[in-house]
Amino acid sequence: MNDGKVTVGRTAGLFLGAAVLRLALFTLFPGLPDLLTGRVEVSTPVTSFKRLQEGLFLYNHNVSPYEGGVYHQAPLFLPLFALLPSFATLPIFTYLLYIAVDLLSANALLKIADSREAGSSALFTSPRRDKRWSGFIVAALFLLNPFTIATCIGRPTSVFTTCAIIHAIAKAIAGAPFTAMVALSFASYLSLYPLLLLPPLLLLAYDRRKQTTKTTPFAFTVTHLGIVVGVHAILFGMSYLLTDCSWEFLPSTYGIQLTLQDLTPNVGLWWYFFVEMFDSFRSFFLAVFWLHLSAYVGGLTIRIRRQPLAVMTLLLGIFAIFKPYPSISDTSLFLALIPLFRHVFPLMRYTFLETAIVIYCCFLGPAFYHLWIYAGSGNANFFYAITLVWGLGLSLLVCDLTFAVLRDEWEVERPEMVGKEIRQI
Amino acid sequence: MPRLLSSALRIRRDPRLLKIPPYLSLLCILVGVVWLFLLPLDEYSRRTYISENALLPGQVHTYFGGSDQNVFRAYKHEVNALEDKSNLEINDKLESIIKGIGLKVGRQNFTYNSAGNVYSGENLYALLKAPRGDATEAIVLVAAWKNTKEELNRNGVALVLTLARYFKRWSLWSKDIIFLVTPDSIAGPQAWVDAYHDAHDSSRVDRLPLKSGALQGAIAIDYTQQERFESVHIIYDGVNGQLPNLDLINSVSNIAGGQMGMGVAIQEMWHHDNKYPDRLRTMLRGMLKQGLGLASGPHSSFIPYHVDAVTLQPFGRGWQDEMAMGRVIEGTFRSLNNLLEHLHQSFFFYLLMHRDRFVSIGTYLPSAMLVAANFTIMAIALWVKSGQPELNKEAAKKNEEFEVNPNNSAVERDLFLPLGFVTGCQFLSVIPLYLFNHAPESTLTPIFAVFTVLNLLLPYGLSHLITTYYAPTAQQYQMIRSFSLLLLGMFLSSLATLNFSLSLIVGVLSTPLTFMQPWPESPALRTFCTVLLNAIAPTMVLVIGASVWRLEISDVLREAAFAWDVYGMYSSIVVWCVWWPAWLAASVTVLGKPVPAATRRGKEKAKTA
Repeated sequence: MNDGKVTVGRTAGLFLGAAVLRLALFTLFPGLPDLLTGRVEVSTPVTSFKRLQEGLFLYNHNVSPYEGGVYHQAPLFLPLFALLPSFATLPIFTYLLYIAVDLLSANALLKIADSREAGSSALFTSPRRDKRWSGFIVAALFLLNPFTIATCIGRPTSVFTTCAIIHAIAKAIAGAPFTAMVALSFASYLSLYPLLLLPPLLLLAYDRRKQTTKTTPFAFTVTHLGIVVGVHAILFGMSYLLTDCSWEFLPSTYGIQLTLQDLTPNVGLWWYFFVEMFDSFRSFFLAVFWLHLSAYVGGLTIRIRRQPLAVMTLLLGIFAIFKPYPSISDTSLFLALIPLFRHVFPLMRYTFLETAIVIYCCFLGPAFYHLWIYAGSGNANFFYAITLVWGLGLSLLVCDLTFAVLRDEWEVERPEMVGKEIRQI
Repeated sequence: MPRLLSSALRIRRDPRLLKIPPYLSLLCILVGVVWLFLLPLDEYSRRTYISENALLPGQVHTYFGGSDQNVFRAYKHEVNALEDKSNLEINDKLESIIKGIGLKVGRQNFTYNSAGNVYSGENLYALLKAPRGDATEAIVLVAAWKNTKEELNRNGVALVLTLARYFKRWSLWSKDIIFLVTPDSIAGPQAWVDAYHDAHDSSRVDRLPLKSGALQGAIAIDYTQQERFESVHIIYDGVNGQLPNLDLINSVSNIAGGQMGMGVAIQEMWHHDNKYPDRLRTMLRGMLKQGLGLASGPHSSFIPYHVDAVTLQPFGRGWQDEMAMGRVIEGTFRSLNNLLEHLHQSFFFYLLMHRDRFVSIGTYLPSAMLVAANFTIMAIALWVKSGQPELNKEAAKKNEEFEVNPNNSAVERDLFLPLGFVTGCQFLSVIPLYLFNHAPESTLTPIFAVFTVLNLLLPYGLSHLITTYYAPTAQQYQMIRSFSLLLLGMFLSSLATLNFSLSLIVGVLSTPLTFMQPWPESPALRTFCTVLLNAIAPTMVLVIGASVWRLEISDVLREAAFAWDVYGMYSSIVVWCVWWPAWLAASVTVLGKPVPAATRRGKEKAKTA
């Protein structure tokens, strides 16, 4: 009883501290938000706050926000930000909105951690599950992660997607599949790729559904697919009405992600490849890249069927590397979920190496970007080389986590092999 | 293949493997330093060459001379008459002269505050519209009224006026030419370039009333010598160690050395026999200047904006007169005028060791990278080591504790203290950075003295604090070293791409940090390490450096604060936020008294029970 109160107080303190830290960064360093908004590591063409301002300006002047080809984000952002007092005069409301979104994400993450789903799912119970971090620590690691803070200060709209994804997971675990589907639909409406999380999320929701109502897996899937389609239809319909009854927003938001028309550099692997590409091969390689991105979904979902939360974590890691417009915001979402798997940390083999690579890239990336863009003494290859290393570091992390999760399962199946060396043959 | 792999795995387990990294680190350092000393050899350096064919240096006749000499003499009289006047009066007079030539004139006020001093003045510049151009590109000719040594740039300003009049007569310019006269050599040009690129702080610097296109190059004249001169000294170091494109230096050296038959010198090497010792000296001087990152003349401020610029300074006693200097500038401007695109062909990263000998980045970068890599190697080794059970007699007795999991030898690491400590050191570094960049000049020296003394005592205090409250184990000390070395290696290798020399200097000075460890049982070694560390402390290096070059500490500190406030030199960040925290962590480690892990665990158990 008393313990619970202490935890609540501690959590409130953490949230307050995180909010104050962000507010202090916003207000004490007035140049910082704009600096971060301009960084390619934080803002991508499909999430940039600057582009949102542009779209908002057009929207407020009754011009289609997609005129001019700068704004590539979902139409529903426009009424939301139009409701807030103007950013130019009262930026504090925008700041508060972004801080609130971060806190909401942290709160959902806290619930995920406290549900202990990562250690013991419906079909699998890890022998190591007692070694875990409480929701407080997981939330603290998310809120105090420099990537999360930088994302919050840089105000890309991807924080809304992050929030929706984490809420979808939290609701699925809490046994509210309907809300989970609605949250995921919002996420995929905002940035398309979360739709790929649907299969593991369905499994997670099915595993954690209330046992009182009896449904067959088939009926469950159909019902919830129906919910997703329905919510999408509603959102698209609202967007259609908002943009003066035109479907123009579809090619400008999802089309741009599917066909990669804006080749602004980012931390991902696509832009450089498609800058170099001859136009005749473009559509083929677009298909290959998207196929590659979505191919992981089926494989991982089937192989790690017993731990859908692990599948989603790994998928989010893969998306943070291979999606068309990744940013450190996606990395922060992946890094937010990793602490849930504290129990498999001892099985991971290259944590120091991965951390070192990621931190190295954090310094070398901006340095090389500076050499390329400002000093003029480097070129695009410098920055691309570092994004490759960044991708390498993150993929090592994903592989390592996959290995640890699988090894954890395997040691349950083969108790005689516990602690034996893995050998590649 | 499987057998090979399994033997590889067996080697991985071998405890002897962990003994290698310190030697590997030492090898990296030695190879890195020796590498540097090989660079001046003929086998490793290259002859310079003009890479951009459009420059065609020295291929045109220069016509500056004849009656222009009379014009020059007249302008020199005017300049002499202005010698003791105020900045405003000088600019009023210069404005009327330049307007008389028929050029548009702009003026710009600036005021910088640094270390309690005010640096203010007014820049004056004139714009010559290109008869054949479309005002999209421009070249700049700069003469500061006073050079960096505060001498009156008598001939320089007169020469700029004469050249302005002379250039106006020619119809061949395809780029606008801007003539800039600044009251001083550093703040004035900085204010002007900032404002030209709209990157100025409008509370301190006015905007420019008159602008042209993108700047393609800039030449500054520092011509205070009254007698006839022998050679031209090319000053090329930019702010923060950035350098102009090598083609520009080559062109000037080609025109002055080849076409005009003057000598050309770099890095204040007035005599250079192109043998190994002189080449090495030139290179080391260049590296030191680059590492300090200070502005070395009016050209320095241009380079961060990707405008290639050099300062030309006549020296020595010979038979070359002002007209010859004018012809060098005319030739250089004709070459720059030919450019079809921004200088990009040649090198931006190079070390010059003679006027026609250089090494490029591919050849010299490995030395700094090796020095930086030694820290990373050691960091990784320490991390691996911290994961292994303690190998002392006590642990051998209590071996049963590890027998639970005999094959998986990694022990759990307690990360909180090491992470917290290293982060704390990094945050502490903000204090000296802020102090030395914001304190007024009169207090700088006392603050420095107090800080130096505190710096001596700080490791003892911190060490006492953590041993009393946290009782760190040997593993935790290993991790403190590991994290701090990892950060140092990371910062230095990133820095090596931006400012090679600074990275190498800090790297070489921090090499002892790699080998520092707690000496609980050997007071002699501990004292030795402490003395060694104090000899290479950032504050001590500053004191020693100042006394070697016979500088006042207060001047050094004032200059550093000025550099930080006016042109954004980041060397102080590197010293205080990269070097100092690593030094502090190593100093605390040396003084550490690790507690055996077993006793500590016992204590904790007692506490919880």
